[in-house]
Amino acid sequence: MLGFIKKKLGHKGGKDRVVVLGIDGVPCSLLNRFIEKGMMPNLSALAQKGTLTDMSASIPEVSSTSWSTFMTGVNPGRHGIYGFTELRKGTYKWKFPNSDDLRSSTLWDIAGRHGRKSVILNIPSTYPARELNGILTAGFVALDLKKATYPESAYEYLKGIGYKMDVDTRKARESAEALAGEIDSAFEIRKKAILHFFDNAEWNLFIGVITETDRLHHYLWNALDDEGHPQHGFFLDFYKRLDGFIGEMYERTGDDVPFIILSDHGFTTIKKEIYLNAWLKEKGYLKFRKDNPESLEDMLAESRVFVLDPARFYIHTKERYPEGSVAAGEYEDLRRKLREELLALEVDGRKVIKSVFFREELYSGDLFNEAPDLVALPYEGYDLKGSINKDRISGKGFLTGGHTREDAVFYINRGVNRKDINIIDVGPTIMSLLDISGNNFDGGSLV
Amino acid sequence: MAQDEREKLMDLSLEEKIDHSKKIIREAIDKFGTEKMAVAWTGGKDSTTMVWLFRETCRELGVPMPRCMFIDEGYVFDEIWDIVNQLKKEWDLNVVIVKNTDVSDKAEKVGDMIRVADLNERNRQEIAKLEYEEEEFPFEPESFVGNHLMKTVAMNVFLEDNGITALSTAIRWDEQEARVEETFFSSRENPPHTRIQPILHFKERDIWNFIFKYNIPFCVLYKEGYRSLGAKGSTVKMADIPAWEQDLENTYERAGRGQSKEEIMGKLRDLGYM
Repeated sequence: MLGFIKKKLGHKGGKDRVVVLGIDGVPCSLLNRFIEKGMMPNLSALAQKGTLTDMSASIPEVSSTSWSTFMTGVNPGRHGIYGFTELRKGTYKWKFPNSDDLRSSTLWDIAGRHGRKSVILNIPSTYPARELNGILTAGFVALDLKKATYPESAYEYLKGIGYKMDVDTRKARESAEALAGEIDSAFEIRKKAILHFFDNAEWNLFIGVITETDRLHHYLWNALDDEGHPQHGFFLDFYKRLDGFIGEMYERTGDDVPFIILSDHGFTTIKKEIYLNAWLKEKGYLKFRKDNPESLEDMLAESRVFVLDPARFYIHTKERYPEGSVAAGEYEDLRRKLREELLALEVDGRKVIKSVFFREELYSGDLFNEAPDLVALPYEGYDLKGSINKDRISGKGFLTGGHTREDAVFYINRGVNRKDINIIDVGPTIMSLLDISGNNFDGGSLV
Repeated sequence: MAQDEREKLMDLSLEEKIDHSKKIIREAIDKFGTEKMAVAWTGGKDSTTMVWLFRETCRELGVPMPRCMFIDEGYVFDEIWDIVNQLKKEWDLNVVIVKNTDVSDKAEKVGDMIRVADLNERNRQEIAKLEYEEEEFPFEPESFVGNHLMKTVAMNVFLEDNGITALSTAIRWDEQEARVEETFFSSRENPPHTRIQPILHFKERDIWNFIFKYNIPFCVLYKEGYRSLGAKGSTVKMADIPAWEQDLENTYERAGRGQSKEEIMGKLRDLGYM
């Protein structure tokens, strides 16, 4: 506590400090609703003295891409993280991009080059931890705490308190109650670690991310509005506790220091999951040599298109893939036809695809060639999936909540200079608040 | 092999398992002799068990022990060298240290970048086969290129240069899902040889029971909590209690190693991906 007071005095005016609290998968609309109900008094007070607004996430609207866009301030065509899965170059084998695949400097890399210290806790897609001027422990998908954490002393501390890198989602298979218990204990230990480093580490840039919100939403979204759901109370109570934590963080930060809250995508009820590879199979675009393919290694060479999660379409070109079948001259017609057919795709008499983008409409940069050829976004409630072993186009899975690209949240205890905000703008905003200029970002500062 | 046959073998008592392994080894020696045979030894608990079984069987048959192949992938734990040197002496083993020095000589330490153009033709061809197109790659024994050059290529060159027709390795069915299809003998191409896999039916628990029953020396790292030993940079402790005291049946032995693909897939599946 003493260290905390000392530090606050030493940084009077807060000119070189920024605090960021990430809340994975939290929709702005949900926060507004809870504020109206009086369930989040701290956030409500913060909204009075700053800007609480909705924000667009990255495309695709998954945590790895969205947080990577946040932490670099550039589009996936430059940072290289298009999703949780890729195929290893020149093969059909799975690859799972991690921090080694991130090709742009992060906010803390840049801050470090300007002599600033950072504390970076639990941001998805930062595993394994890379060296930095400060402290980092990685978020999802992190496998081993030691490799997830830099430096060693931070690892020793986290190990000592029994830090959990993530909610053990396998508990969901036991019961909703067991999962709630897991979410609860992960949230508690996360808060403890965040506050510890906030108080005891030296930093200019502090970023702590709560990911329990995303797990809560995926598994228990149906508990939100169903008063009879056994976890309904837990869901609401979780948000009250989150509000308590926001209040605690803000009290430590103070009005003078810029305080940002953001999420990486929104959430909504899943009406149906849409299995795009099953649709491609039905249309004759995709063929496997087995009934139950395990990976795209089981795909037949004559296949024209395949999908990686959530809705990244890859045209099986001769140029890009060892067994590709689509010639350069066929590419343009094929992608136009695909877009048309996708926009017309109906399930139970309703359209499911809201928009389809060609790669050049979304991405630019050195890694543009690694981009998906088309990316689709659904109408709300349809969860687009890249599963390869489904034989129906739509169905229900075990998750009740799914991501939305719109309705992510952005908060800052100041005014902002524009209305339409995208997650790509948050990094440049932070750098500008730290008075670090001369960066080549794709996003622009909001202050 | 059918599942029920596999399960039957895995349910045998330790002594029956040892007998079965010796039978496989006898068959292998019958067929290939010991001259053109090699035993892949890592200094780890499984391959040390296998080396002991070979030594016993050779003694019973009155034939010389085949040579042991040890791959030095450039980042070996000191504790592994200790046990290898100790057993080499105690058991009078002929150990051949296999190393892709053309690669390792170009790096001072792990993580250093190596230029593809500086390597010999064989290594350059191997990199081309991987369709790796960068001009440089990091010297990381468990990375995509590093693993291939320092382990696979090093081993293949040894097999080719010595005309090895049979190589015995210590993989086990219970290590990971992907291993259940393995058989006691299986043929390989490039270079053509037969793999002998005589301890497939041992469970992790059997290995420890065996080690303690026969008083087999083992690497001190297991005592410190490592369950499975790979390269130094990618192997982590699973717990601070000795490997044999850990919950072997309900946790993953290889989770401490760089072999993380299955785990990542599991985590992604839990969130609705894949």
